Amino acid sequence: MLRDIIKKEILDNITSPKFVFTFLLCTILILLSVYTGVTNYRAEKKEHTASLALNKKNMESQPNFSSLAGIGVKVSKPPQVLGTVVNGIEEAVGRVAPVNIVADPNLVDSKYSSNPVFAVFGPLDLMFIVKIVLSLFAILFTYDAIVGEKEKGTLKLALSNEVPRDRLILGKAIGGYISLLLPLLIPLVLSLIILLITPDISLGGEDWGRLLLIFLMFFLYLSVFFSLGLFVSARTSRSSTSFLVLLFIWVVFVMVIPKVAVITAGQIRPIPSVHEITAKKDAFLQQIQTESQKGYLDWVQKNRTDAQKDPKAFEEKFRQFLQNYQQEMTSKIDENNSAIERDYQQRKRAQQNLAINMSRISPASALTFGSMTLAKTGVNDFDRFLASVRAYKPIYTKWINSKLAQSINFQTGEQPKISLDDMPQHTIEPEWLSRSLVRTIPDFALLAVMIIVFFVGAYVSFLRYDVR
Amino acid sequence: MLEAIDLTKRYEDGELALDGLTFKVEPGEIFCMFGANGAGKTTAINLFLNFIPATSGTALIEGIDVAKDPLKAKRHVSFVSENVMLYGNFTAVQNLDYFSRLAGKRTLKKKDYAEVLDRVGLQKEAFDRRVKNFSKGMRQKLGIAIALVKDAPNVLLDEPTSGLDPQSGREFLEILVQMRDKGKSVFMSTHDIFRAKLIADRIGFMRRGRLVMMKTAMELAHEDLTDLYIQYMEEQPAQPSAALSA
Ligand SMILES: Nc1ncnc2c1ncn2[C@@H]1O[C@H](COP(=O)(O)OP(=O)(O)OP(=O)(O)O)[C@@H](O)[C@H]1O
Ligand SMILES: [Mg+2]
Repeated sequence: MLRDIIKKEILDNITSPKFVFTFLLCTILILLSVYTGVTNYRAEKKEHTASLALNKKNMESQPNFSSLAGIGVKVSKPPQVLGTVVNGIEEAVGRVAPVNIVADPNLVDSKYSSNPVFAVFGPLDLMFIVKIVLSLFAILFTYDAIVGEKEKGTLKLALSNEVPRDRLILGKAIGGYISLLLPLLIPLVLSLIILLITPDISLGGEDWGRLLLIFLMFFLYLSVFFSLGLFVSARTSRSSTSFLVLLFIWVVFVMVIPKVAVITAGQIRPIPSVHEITAKKDAFLQQIQTESQKGYLDWVQKNRTDAQKDPKAFEEKFRQFLQNYQQEMTSKIDENNSAIERDYQQRKRAQQNLAINMSRISPASALTFGSMTLAKTGVNDFDRFLASVRAYKPIYTKWINSKLAQSINFQTGEQPKISLDDMPQHTIEPEWLSRSLVRTIPDFALLAVMIIVFFVGAYVSFLRYDVR
Repeated sequence: MLEAIDLTKRYEDGELALDGLTFKVEPGEIFCMFGANGAGKTTAINLFLNFIPATSGTALIEGIDVAKDPLKAKRHVSFVSENVMLYGNFTAVQNLDYFSRLAGKRTLKKKDYAEVLDRVGLQKEAFDRRVKNFSKGMRQKLGIAIALVKDAPNVLLDEPTSGLDPQSGREFLEILVQMRDKGKSVFMSTHDIFRAKLIADRIGFMRRGRLVMMKTAMELAHEDLTDLYIQYMEEQPAQPSAALSA
């Protein structure tokens, strides 16, 4: 009997006009999103490789270490391959961080800053399609699941037989869910094939694991709206009411809660603006510069007599002084900057966490944050990257300072050719899947809890539903 | 056999829809229940199908208390509801197939369905058409076919002839008579005095949830049912509405 109910439910859905419409729209949107994702990724990867090469060439062509110090080094973040399905903040935040002696490294050159019109609509990635469009479809497939049968009179007719109510709702839930998945399956499989055959895209074993988890999260998210639809349709006595109620809840979940959470978190835990932070850093830099000017003059004043006595010894002493002094001043700058930065990051993180946790009552936020974490395109990954660049800065500074000091030649004023062979390179520890998984446990758990709550609600409501 | 014992239903809003209703429909008997709109006919049928709980009293199907063992009781009853819409995306045959399966009939073939649909007078071209575009009468016929396929010993019908054209109405009466001859207990709520008189073995009048008259076909043979109906509906002037209109 359960099989008959499931079969009927699937057939009923498949033969309805909404199914054809859903199927077409799903196919077009999913394929379009993966296509744009893949194209973007390939372009970004190319750009990344080109900018690495250009940067290297640029550095190598510098005549001496002081001009090398002048241009600094550019560290750039490679694009994430899973950004093809979950774009996250890849486009919103820059992926290049210039590192030099003075300025504190920051991410610059985002796609949005160079082309702000992109920022208006955001990326059309698979996650967006699932979050907005497919969740609406889940509602479309369930809003009249129960109340619609009551209106058609078929509920009465079915229950005039020896049919237990729990069997009926179970059959309807399973059948309805299958018919919702049917229009998704084909385009999703096609997307996977696209990812497999596109030349520049290579997914490692871990990436497949992540992709699988992202898909799992998509299905859980859709299940939330599916069971919510069942629930509301078992609590209303008119399908138009059910649809309106569901639409209202959808707007609150998808549109309102995430934004309100961010705004509220900003109110509860305010953080200084980036300008304030930069101004603070600049002020200190200025102070250090005047200070070092003075210290430098003082030293020359004090040691002037030595210069006349033994120029050779003076030169050596001066070189030593310069190197140490430069190092001292830059590390002062670094220390100050990193102190400011540490404080700022800590407060920013507190605010972010508050916003994330508050918005998590909405399944849409759980989906957003969870899938971004799994795709490594979230806020956290950019923070990690920036932190690694900031950790790299003192290492680089120490190297360039020593080079600068060694290359001063008081006799000829000539400087030796540069060599980048022993320049320390920026490295970043990749985030392991297990670590990402741990961070997404709350999201998975929240989605699962919502599914259970809504489904149990639907089940219990249907057992007492007035079928007349 | 269908049996109502002192069946009473008071809705949540205080409306007393059934007030101590007692009757019995024996096997091989057609019982027609009349009553003005709102008299409580549909409520009685809903109680027999356990769609709503009774306030007091008992409804028995084949001696099984519907409130105690609804699933077992429902095994023995077919039901034709008033204006059922059915699944619009399904054809007549698909609808029939689904409800037959729910009724526990899983061995029926397309031929059997065609036979039943033919019997209720649905035109052949409509068998494989979507029910969405069916007329009210065509849907009613399909509803009757669904009840026929279940072939239960008891039949509950709520205004089954509404929407049927004269020819189909006549064919429908024949179906009811065949059911009676097979020994089924048939309970039908209706407003169609003319047709009911042709086939009913017993007739009951309901007023404000009470059975105010019950007579056998023999007793009614020489009475004008319409006059009797109006007489019973107007008698007992204790109603405030009657007092107002007077
Ligand atoms: N869910 C409900 N809540 C409150 N009162 C109800 C409910 N359903 C029916 N009633 C009331 O119960 C009474 C009997 O209604 P019922 O539907 O049984 O009448 P009926 O005899 O079938 O009428 P009709 O000939 O119009 O079909 C009416 O007064 C009606 O208003
Ligand atoms: Mg009625």
